[in-house]
Amino acid sequence: METLTLKGRRIVEGCCRAEAIVSTKPISFLGGVDPADGRIIEKNHDLCGECIKGKVLCFPYGHGSTVGSYVLYSLSKNHLSPKAIINQTADPVVVVGAIIANIPMIDQIDLRQIKTGDTIEVDAYDGVVKVLKRKER
Amino acid sequence: MYLTNEEERIYDGEYGWTNQICMKILVRLGELFAATKLIPINSAHVSGISYKTLGDAPIEFLEALSATGGKVSARATLNPQGLDTEYLGKKLDEKIRRKQLNILKQFEKMGFAQSLTCTPYYIEEPSQGSHLAWAESSAVVYANSVLEAWTNREGGPSALAAAIIGKTPDYGIHKAVNRQPKASVTLEAQPQNEIEFGAIGAFLGKVLEDKIPVICGLKGSSKEDLKQLGAALASTGMANMFYLHSASMRLDKPEKITIENNDIKSSVENLSTSAKSEPELVFIGCPHCSMNEIKNVACTIGGRKVKGGKELWICTSRFVKEKARNYVGEIEQSGAHLITDTCAVVTWTEKLGIRTIMTNSAKTAYYAPTLNKAETVLAPLKECLNTALEG
Repeated sequence: METLTLKGRRIVEGCCRAEAIVSTKPISFLGGVDPADGRIIEKNHDLCGECIKGKVLCFPYGHGSTVGSYVLYSLSKNHLSPKAIINQTADPVVVVGAIIANIPMIDQIDLRQIKTGDTIEVDAYDGVVKVLKRKER
Repeated sequence: MYLTNEEERIYDGEYGWTNQICMKILVRLGELFAATKLIPINSAHVSGISYKTLGDAPIEFLEALSATGGKVSARATLNPQGLDTEYLGKKLDEKIRRKQLNILKQFEKMGFAQSLTCTPYYIEEPSQGSHLAWAESSAVVYANSVLEAWTNREGGPSALAAAIIGKTPDYGIHKAVNRQPKASVTLEAQPQNEIEFGAIGAFLGKVLEDKIPVICGLKGSSKEDLKQLGAALASTGMANMFYLHSASMRLDKPEKITIENNDIKSSVENLSTSAKSEPELVFIGCPHCSMNEIKNVACTIGGRKVKGGKELWICTSRFVKEKARNYVGEIEQSGAHLITDTCAVVTWTEKLGIRTIMTNSAKTAYYAPTLNKAETVLAPLKECLNTALEG
């Protein structure tokens, strides 16, 4: 298959290659993600019960308390953080969280182009996302 | 974003990890909001101090910051924590006390003043036109609207970063162009008491979103009433300031909003979730009481005693309590607790068996159902005290 290249904006530098996990809903890290096991715990969330560890976490934007930034730091200390974060629109809570947890982050990406299970390569120095292998559908 | 040589060097890590990570936070947030530079601040005020709201997530981060020698480079104050040592600290369990103490210790190491109040402006009033980096939304609105200082609504982490660096990115309402009012508010009748001021704030927060209003007809209101209005405005919406109308004000095609008596009435009603007249706790002091409010509480108590089975809390800062020492005896003799460093919203009222909270604060009435899992009754001071006291 062809590689799909998406260009966004660099927020936090870094590179990685991992499987995508994609949500169409905003995420509140405080109360929405369990820092002890890396699972989404927000009820009625489309990723509820899913683990974000080691994935490229794609969601439109963050919401909720600014304490959420610290949850991202905790996740990374517990080796449960996502390998990268891709947003449609970056917001302060997630940006600060990604900086202090040192998680590569890009925004201004059309998330409809990425599906859960796709293998993607993130170059957050240049703000480029490459979708390498599409999930069989 | 333009950085000075020194800022560049901090960003590159020459001044250690703590300064670097804080600089990164400020620069990246600045880029996000199209700031072109950092500006010096007169003070920072950090929220997210109570272990109840923070949980364990930030402890490691705060420890890392303080362990690598992070120090504040501007006057920096702290929001209330989850307990006081004299009263609530003795009722809550050891683990909670230990965790809270550890959080506070990290801030102390970094040079934060142990103000532990949501009203840092009573300790030191920021001067007109000074730039601040304050979290705690009620203080943000008060600073911008009543004191005419300039601050965005910071989050806990960004206010912390600003305290360490002593600067904040120049965007939002640090710029005069963004402080222009966009809505003009007319009241059908004057608010009668503090809960109606709060109700007006709560109503406006919902309809304004982030638009700055000019409110007509409230010139001459007490600062305490405006504090209630601002705290509620920030709770229900994203507006970070309001103006009181004066003759010299020129508005360019503002959105016109009329608040009818019924709007205030239903706003008050919506803020009460219970009609129960027997709350376990009557809570005054959200935001923390001023000297005047303490005096008013002491006078209204007027020698009466708190009813058996009821709690009456009056919350303020250590600083105001010391200043109001002539009234402390009178309040405490009634059986009420004059509590500093914390408040009902950020402490563990559930663990103390409190199911219903009566308060004169629209902000508390708005947050307590979720943050305290409590029913709320919103009533003016006199009615609150009459419920708590004998006779």
